Amino acid sequence: MEEIVLDVPVQPPTELFLPVPKKFLEDAYKGDDYLVLVGPQHPGSGHMRIILRIKGDVIVEAIPDPGYVHRSMEKLAETRLYIQNIPLFERPAIMDTGNVTLGYVRAMEKALDVEVPERAKYIRVILAELSRIGTHLYDAGILAVFLGHTTGFMWPFALREPIVEAITRISGARITSSFIIPGGIRRDVPWNVLEFVRKTTFVLERRLKSFEKIFIKNPTVIERLKEVGVLSREEAIRFGLVGPFLRASGVEYDLRAVEPYEVYDSLNWEIPVSDEGDSYSRFLVRVEEISQSISIIRQAVNELRRIPEGKVISEDILQEYAEVASADIRGFFFRVFGELTLPLGEFTSLTEASRGTLLYSIISDGESNVPYRARVITPGWYYLKGFMEALRGERLADLQAIYGSFGYFPPEADR
Amino acid sequence: MSDDSVDFLHSGPLAPLKKWGTKWSLWPVHLVTACCGVELAHAYASGYDGERLGSLNYGIARQTNLIIVEGAITRKMARVLKITYEQMPEPKFVIVMGACGLKGGLFWNGYHMVRPSDVVPVDFFIPGCPPTPEALLRAIRSLQEKIVSGEARNTIEFEKYDLSKINVRGEQPLKPPSPKHYSPTPPIKVDVPKEVDWSFGKKLIAELKSDLEGLYKSITITDKNRIAIQAEKDDVVALASKLSKRFDHVKNVNVIDIPHEYSFIVEYQISSYSVKELMPVVVNLFARIPRNNPRFPSLAVFWPSADYLEREMYDLFGVWFEGNSAMGERFLLAPDTPEFPLRKDRKLREEIYSEVE
Repeated sequence: MEEIVLDVPVQPPTELFLPVPKKFLEDAYKGDDYLVLVGPQHPGSGHMRIILRIKGDVIVEAIPDPGYVHRSMEKLAETRLYIQNIPLFERPAIMDTGNVTLGYVRAMEKALDVEVPERAKYIRVILAELSRIGTHLYDAGILAVFLGHTTGFMWPFALREPIVEAITRISGARITSSFIIPGGIRRDVPWNVLEFVRKTTFVLERRLKSFEKIFIKNPTVIERLKEVGVLSREEAIRFGLVGPFLRASGVEYDLRAVEPYEVYDSLNWEIPVSDEGDSYSRFLVRVEEISQSISIIRQAVNELRRIPEGKVISEDILQEYAEVASADIRGFFFRVFGELTLPLGEFTSLTEASRGTLLYSIISDGESNVPYRARVITPGWYYLKGFMEALRGERLADLQAIYGSFGYFPPEADR
Repeated sequence: MSDDSVDFLHSGPLAPLKKWGTKWSLWPVHLVTACCGVELAHAYASGYDGERLGSLNYGIARQTNLIIVEGAITRKMARVLKITYEQMPEPKFVIVMGACGLKGGLFWNGYHMVRPSDVVPVDFFIPGCPPTPEALLRAIRSLQEKIVSGEARNTIEFEKYDLSKINVRGEQPLKPPSPKHYSPTPPIKVDVPKEVDWSFGKKLIAELKSDLEGLYKSITITDKNRIAIQAEKDDVVALASKLSKRFDHVKNVNVIDIPHEYSFIVEYQISSYSVKELMPVVVNLFARIPRNNPRFPSLAVFWPSADYLEREMYDLFGVWFEGNSAMGERFLLAPDTPEFPLRKDRKLREEIYSEVE
């Protein structure tokens, strides 16, 4: 087998235009529709190009051109240790740190068949739900930018500050915590930090009420989002939508309930579902999820009162280091995880990330300590098809509203 | 404009006024290239309020004078960065944020990565993954100082190591050795059976077996809620038409390259949104195809949600999905990327392990 080196030097671009595929040009030239190119540089979050065919100002067809943030994660994962891939796979959506790392770590735990200590499970849930609230607020802010509502951008980002502070106190990093490891979490969280997290939820709840007046129930916002980009239940299923966008179209599907992981089945929470399937209901479902997450965090903190501090990493993983490292892995990390090898087979984990289903599929050969193949599909990549179909038949001016309501985040979709 | 008037602008009596004006109106164009954009948004939101430094994000390149490159620049994005830079009026500045923008950071050996400094002249780098909003604001302050004083000043000094001592060619054994070990010709099996307590699964398997009689090679339970169906490539379409009555969407289209067995494994992982009992079940329908003629029937007719996943797999592996209209086109990858980069014979650079005194 001849080896080909991928490390090809990049020539600085000399032509200062982006190529438009010829077939679209010819069709547009012959027919009476226009070709409008949106992006790649546009005032959104992350970059992608949408090629629109337009009749009058109605979108006939939307053709995606993704890949502007494709950072070759699946290939890179094949050249790194299993444990080194945790920060790598966190990078698709760093604001969603809890959920994305949880997904990859759960795929490894499935393979290793380890039982995670209960305390670690609750702390994982707290971290995942904090990231969920953070991501929903982030997307609300970006939606506001798209609608030209600057105050609507400032509020959610001010609300994100206490969440970022809570994640910092738990893990030590503002955004990229990489706190979840196979068998548990990096170190135990002291009680005063948990109390801070609980107090944060009350701050969030109070300030969300003002945000509701300013943005969510604002008549101009409702006018921009209502009955725009409608996807019916059948369409949502056919195009494989995920997460809050699927639930906004009337399908009650939440992986936290469908295939419960961690401790979600022992907590009380509801799945917000809407039947309209338009941009506004997609937004409202996510807003409603914020209050559900707040309730989950409070319950988890209350449950943690009765679980003694100390043991947060599974003994099956630590083995001879169980006594010294079960509350804090610092100093033993590489000794414990350096030789981590998964058994032969394919291990697929499904996680409900903030924007929907997150799939990790690790194919292990049972001999190497690097994955043979690691497949990641992020929610953004799943709902790209549905997003493009939602644009069909809408007016050009509504593109931003639909884009924002999906919270499409190209770094997450392209991986 | 003649040279005299340019000189007058830069060194005439009004030059300090112009510098002062530029200093307090650094407007970055919106170029959120990757994940560092999260911290940029924080820096310009109410928490850190970047606007107090006279800096505010703006959507259109034509009226801005600063690019903040937020992290990774890919091959596809490099051209966009260059175009955006060329569109901006003089004087213009570039700040690169994050480790990816410096030397690739976490993605240093990726096949789709470009250093921003190869594309545009860079004024300031901000280290960090991601840098904090404070670090970003400090870079803007440094840029303001540079505009006034005319010379750039480092705010961080890193320790320097002599890299020339490191043996790049690999003539001597390197110390310490790499912790990674690859198996050269590993066995690959995606349907390793597992004993699980799952009564619904056993019932479902019995139903599937009678339903798909004669079309499959084996049906295995690989874990709770996970079923693997092995089939021949020619039977896949018939299988999919029967399975599509139960399972309504595709969760994953995956290709595994096994060069030492001269084959690809193509997988379709399917699931259901409409039937409550089938919701957690993921069925993995897979088949082996020869590596020298990788053709597979497209199943996007049964499951439209597989369309983009198939196009992605063509991009990365070169498996031709017969029936998908977009085959042969680049989807995710830039035109100048080497083709089919995820095949196993395409090699990335690996890190060098070395001891530093």
